Amino acid sequence: MSDNIVTITDEELSFFIGSIRTFSDYDFTEYSEKSFKRRIEKVLMDYKLDLNSLILKMRKESDFLERIIKDITVNTTELFRDPKAWHTLKYRILPRLKDNNVINIWHAGCSTGQEVYSMLILLNEMGLIDKAKVYATDLNTDVIDVAKAGIYKYRFNLGYLDSFDKVIKENPYNYDEFKEVPYEKYFDIDKVQDSIKMKQFLKDKPVFRKHDLVKGGNIFYTKFDIIMCRNVLIYFNNSLQNKVFELFYKSLFDGGYLVLGIHESMLGPMTSKFEKKGSNYRKKLL
Amino acid sequence: MNDIKAVMIGGSAGSFQVVTKILASLPKDYKLPIFMCLHRLKHVRSGFVEALSIKSEMPVIEPFDKDPIRPGVIYLAPANYHMYIEADKRFSLSTEEPVNHSRPSIDLSFYTAAYAYKSKLAGIILSGANRDGAKGLKAVKDNGGITIVQDPKEAQVDTMPSSAMALTSIDYVYSTDQIISFLKKINNA
Ligand SMILES: C[S@@+](CC[C@H](N)C(=O)[O-])C[C@H]1O[C@@H](n2cnc3c(N)ncnc32)[C@H](O)[C@@H]1O
Repeated sequence: MSDNIVTITDEELSFFIGSIRTFSDYDFTEYSEKSFKRRIEKVLMDYKLDLNSLILKMRKESDFLERIIKDITVNTTELFRDPKAWHTLKYRILPRLKDNNVINIWHAGCSTGQEVYSMLILLNEMGLIDKAKVYATDLNTDVIDVAKAGIYKYRFNLGYLDSFDKVIKENPYNYDEFKEVPYEKYFDIDKVQDSIKMKQFLKDKPVFRKHDLVKGGNIFYTKFDIIMCRNVLIYFNNSLQNKVFELFYKSLFDGGYLVLGIHESMLGPMTSKFEKKGSNYRKKLL
Repeated sequence: MNDIKAVMIGGSAGSFQVVTKILASLPKDYKLPIFMCLHRLKHVRSGFVEALSIKSEMPVIEPFDKDPIRPGVIYLAPANYHMYIEADKRFSLSTEEPVNHSRPSIDLSFYTAAYAYKSKLAGIILSGANRDGAKGLKAVKDNGGITIVQDPKEAQVDTMPSSAMALTSIDYVYSTDQIISFLKKINNA
């Protein structure tokens, strides 16, 4: 870790964002300032560039532009991240949808796909996978490629087997209940290759697409019963969050659920259109 | 003395007792917001707020993203998120990679608080085995705020306060009791 910290001023930050907006398709005007600033500073340190050279290079080389956009996004994710959120899906949300003919689910900001595979595994355990249609989008096409491949590092995902157990095998409301589900049912662990590979039947299921939440719009020509959007809106300011909530509202069926991350909440005008329970928001019937 | 508007405290899992003692000594009607960024043990992800709440008369909460900062509340950086202070005095959270093996990172929280509050921030570094917090405290100093470290003689592990002392000028080297009196004094200023 280098001890030189590169910092940029607020003016430089707006200059950067303004420039990107004029010569590319990307608009970061309404991202959360502090984390965005930090990402740019990190890019400047990693590439050993000053801000002007960075902007110039991004304008001239479209590959480089795409590379930097990908570097700016934060892609941290895990299998069954925050088991409690999955308990809510398992015991409260999905049971209410079990009699639907189809269950439409959209993972917005799916990153490398662990959240999508977690959902598919849960759906399969609940006997709902055949009626589910699962769509997943992200701004960053590199993470989408990883998500499609469904191969992860074993080492990094080790702790998450624990979460798998908590969500899939255990029942938090009844500790005596325990369902033996072998990991091999869903993925192959290869400790030598240091990999976890999702089974083909899981990989066949989701539709992955590039989509920019800043631009808005629902690209799937269907409404959804569940929209999962966890740890994505934390990178947006209130105003952009609100626009995305409007998009989600329009894209949900009446009574459909929006699931946010465990430290996220809806603030502002859209709150009156949803019924809130923890980090889950249910679209009110009109 | 500067007109302090907010306090930020950085420490490690080992400073839990000191933190508890400090929080337990502050009155219910304490006016300033207090931000705390404490490293946690890997396997202990929750239970921290609960434990601190029992001891403290002030409300202790883990902020949600974009929550506005309220006076008289103790805010604890949630496990596995970096906690930032935005210019409009709201929190924002991030899951970007750990810094110095730490998420939350004390440095990152301090940078943003120092920038948001400038000379109106008091930054305090408690005991810990990691150098996290040193650069953050320097940012507090560079922005005109007050810098305090727990006396390395008193700290269980003194890497954290000592690294901060090596990197920037420290206004006060205080024992836990002195930190408590300081916090009470700025509240009445
Ligand atoms: C921290 S990950 C969240 C992954 C997963 N939902 C979870 O909670 O584990 C955030 C993702 O949001 C994506 N993202 C950022 N800005 C976006 C935008 N404007 N449109 C769509 N996705 C975006 C990033 O590329 C990144 O993969």
